[in-house]
Amino acid sequence: MLFNSLQYLVFLPTVFLLFWLVPHRLRVPLLLVASYVFYMSWRPIYGLLIFGLTLGNFLLVPLIAKAQETKQKKIWLGVVVAANLITLGIFKYAYFGMGCVKSGLNLFGVDWHEPHLHIILPLGISFFVFEFIHYAVEVYRGKPLVAKFMDFALFASFFPTQIAGPIKRYMDFIPQLDIPAKFKWEYIDEGMQLILVGLCKKVLVADNLALVVQAGFSHPEKFGSLDLWLITYAFAFQIFFDFAGYTDIARGSALLFGYKVPINFNLPYLAANVADFWHRWHISLSTWLRDYLFIPLGGSRGGKWLTNRNLFITMALGGLWHGAASHYLAWGVYQGVVLILHREYVELLKRVGVYEKLVASKLYHVFSVVCTFHIVCVGWVFFRAETETSAMQIITKLLQAPVDLLHFTTSQLSILQIRDPIIFPSVILIVPVLMISQVVVNWLSDKKIYKNPPWAIQVGMMVAMMCLLTIFSPDTSPRFIYFQF
Amino acid sequence: MTHLLKTKFALAVIVFSLLSVLVGASKAFQFEPSRFPFLSWTGWTIKSFLESPERSNVLFLGSSLVLVPLDGVDADFLGRKIDGSQHHNSCYFESKFKEATGLDIKSFTFALPGEMPSDAYLVVNNLLTQNKKPDVIVYGVGPRDFLDNLLPSPSATDPYRFLSRFGNLDPVASRMMPDWMDRLNYELGKLFYVYGQRSDLADWATGKSVGLVNSLLPLPQDKQAVSFDDRRLLAPEYRPCEVLAGQALFRPSTPKEWANFSDNLAEYKKRYGKLKWDTYLTQLGFFADTLEIARSKGIRVVVVMMPITDINRALLSDFNWNLYCKSVSTMARRKGASVINLSETDYFQRSDFMDTVHLHSLGGRKWLDVVVASMSGNHKVLSALKNTQTAGGAARIAKQGGETQL
Repeated sequence: MLFNSLQYLVFLPTVFLLFWLVPHRLRVPLLLVASYVFYMSWRPIYGLLIFGLTLGNFLLVPLIAKAQETKQKKIWLGVVVAANLITLGIFKYAYFGMGCVKSGLNLFGVDWHEPHLHIILPLGISFFVFEFIHYAVEVYRGKPLVAKFMDFALFASFFPTQIAGPIKRYMDFIPQLDIPAKFKWEYIDEGMQLILVGLCKKVLVADNLALVVQAGFSHPEKFGSLDLWLITYAFAFQIFFDFAGYTDIARGSALLFGYKVPINFNLPYLAANVADFWHRWHISLSTWLRDYLFIPLGGSRGGKWLTNRNLFITMALGGLWHGAASHYLAWGVYQGVVLILHREYVELLKRVGVYEKLVASKLYHVFSVVCTFHIVCVGWVFFRAETETSAMQIITKLLQAPVDLLHFTTSQLSILQIRDPIIFPSVILIVPVLMISQVVVNWLSDKKIYKNPPWAIQVGMMVAMMCLLTIFSPDTSPRFIYFQF
Repeated sequence: MTHLLKTKFALAVIVFSLLSVLVGASKAFQFEPSRFPFLSWTGWTIKSFLESPERSNVLFLGSSLVLVPLDGVDADFLGRKIDGSQHHNSCYFESKFKEATGLDIKSFTFALPGEMPSDAYLVVNNLLTQNKKPDVIVYGVGPRDFLDNLLPSPSATDPYRFLSRFGNLDPVASRMMPDWMDRLNYELGKLFYVYGQRSDLADWATGKSVGLVNSLLPLPQDKQAVSFDDRRLLAPEYRPCEVLAGQALFRPSTPKEWANFSDNLAEYKKRYGKLKWDTYLTQLGFFADTLEIARSKGIRVVVVMMPITDINRALLSDFNWNLYCKSVSTMARRKGASVINLSETDYFQRSDFMDTVHLHSLGGRKWLDVVVASMSGNHKVLSALKNTQTAGGAARIAKQGGETQL
């Protein structure tokens, strides 16, 4: 079931009404049933997968807590993490793994015909597997167990966050289930505002940009370097508005039940460096990677080379987490490399003694934001391109941009030649507007009028969003990008 | 109610509903059903049908099984390329029919790619008004029209998208939209004018923004806008069924082309698959309703059970095949239509087909000859045509100064 579907338009109000009508003790079971209905509306059989993993983790993780010796605890933790990763591996990486083996064997002249396993990637598996691993590790570190199976099952399957996060922490989520919350009208206002904003981000911005992005990344040969920069910017905003839109809808839906789930984005394109970007982009994933991969690998405790190694491994695996394809791995590797380069650059500035001065300079801050945005955009090319060859082809063209800018005329922009659909030339206007919107939102973020606007503005905004969504919603909207992960 | 007003969201919903009512009442936002955002094969056909000043005497209905041979034969007959999106009559049929009966008739082809009986129903019910109705409908059907497994619902076809804009769907809504989401979509469209007219409103808003974008970002003077083919390559999901004039061409065939046979059995294996009773019964129901409405409008119907190849026929179980043949012929006769059964004859050979179901132009000529022979020997058909020929002919003679001959 998609958030941007009529099914959800019926499902969410139904669950919402039932939730507030039934007594508190029935609310968790109700949400659990609803979450399984939500999940199984896609492929009923995969309901068994999430249930099996939930039951397995619920039964195995207490063994970590019960083990007396650290060695035993480690063994049980290893068993739980391995069970989760093997499941993820089978469903997500089996074809990729076999493809790698086949390519390897081909190098030795062996022609191996890999079996066709008929595996379809279960929606959201990467997200709930990460939540299970987080639970196991936290229990290993001494945090309490979840006592009730129902609570634990709902933690893993909670429908607003089930498919594409945010990746929750059980210590934040489970205690909310025990609070016998009373209904508040604010839940509807805040929740529905978030949902409407999320839908607008997805349907009005991301889905429209998708048309241009698809054209550019499928046929880069048809576009010049400046077009490809525009298209890359367009993808940067498409993926942001798509995923941030999803997260808003997820948070809004959860809020209707009085639950809070973590934020995932904090104006990422205003980051002043790559490390800052990862503090603002897909926050629930980056903090997960920090807590359960980077730190267990040794974090930054082992000196420069080990820190860089850990960063590299973390980001490369983070890339692979997004998808079983080499271009995702390439994106992860790129992120690892630029993070390492950033660390080295900061150290160099500190050694030279100009770091503090530069960081305090507004001009340098603007320059850093622009640079970081472009570094991130180059990374998005690896992420979005269908193959690394295609990515390299696009990046080669992107590098020609300075030359093309020297003798710029509008004739260089192939995008202007596509007059129908009008979104193609409009991208030239839309991209700067989206860039400026980030700055404006940042400026407004601490203003009272933004944080708590007058009711008339709130109502007006909601009506405007309803009208726009009603008119411009396509009959079939593409799936959220992060559903594939 | 007072509780509801405590929430800004409820207030927003109320304002939105009021706005929707206002927009619905405003004349500025009343859209003509024939004002299509873009034209598919169906759109072109409807446009041509509505714009045609003359009423046609014979109207062809059916899927590509009818359309392909009609246009293919005309390309040969006229010795030139035929643009399928613009050419909506059968010159060969008109000529042969005149040869056989002496009647000077006009035909119109409302056969559309993928047309189902539910679409034919919409044509007959919504478009064949008093001044547009033909005297005779020639309706070609094949097993696919009733047994298509690939069709999710009657409302999933391209013809439906265009034809449903004309007339009220309420009486057939449950059959047209068996899926509850389609139905909900439809009901929401009725409830909120803005939602029901969203494609027109979006088109209107886009039209307004096009002017602005064109003035701010004009096409560079030394460049041309990309071709339709390039646009289709770059944005395949944008208006997937759109057809431009001059793009769906039928060329005069050569004997070499007649010998070409393309195997589309794999596609039909999927289409026939397991009998979907709901599809079958729904489409049979629409078939019956189409014939009934045509009868009530005084239109004579000739149902042609189209020939298909033996290998395509072999994909259907005997039960399914008999079910199709018997139900179509029984239903047609019960509704007072004439039947030309070409599906159970060996008159057509595999060499008459371009693939396992579509007749090529030579096979199409053979098919039209049979149809003409049968119709010209059918006194009910002739009487329906002669009656209006006399009345219509007299009017035309008066209009054209007596030059038109009967």
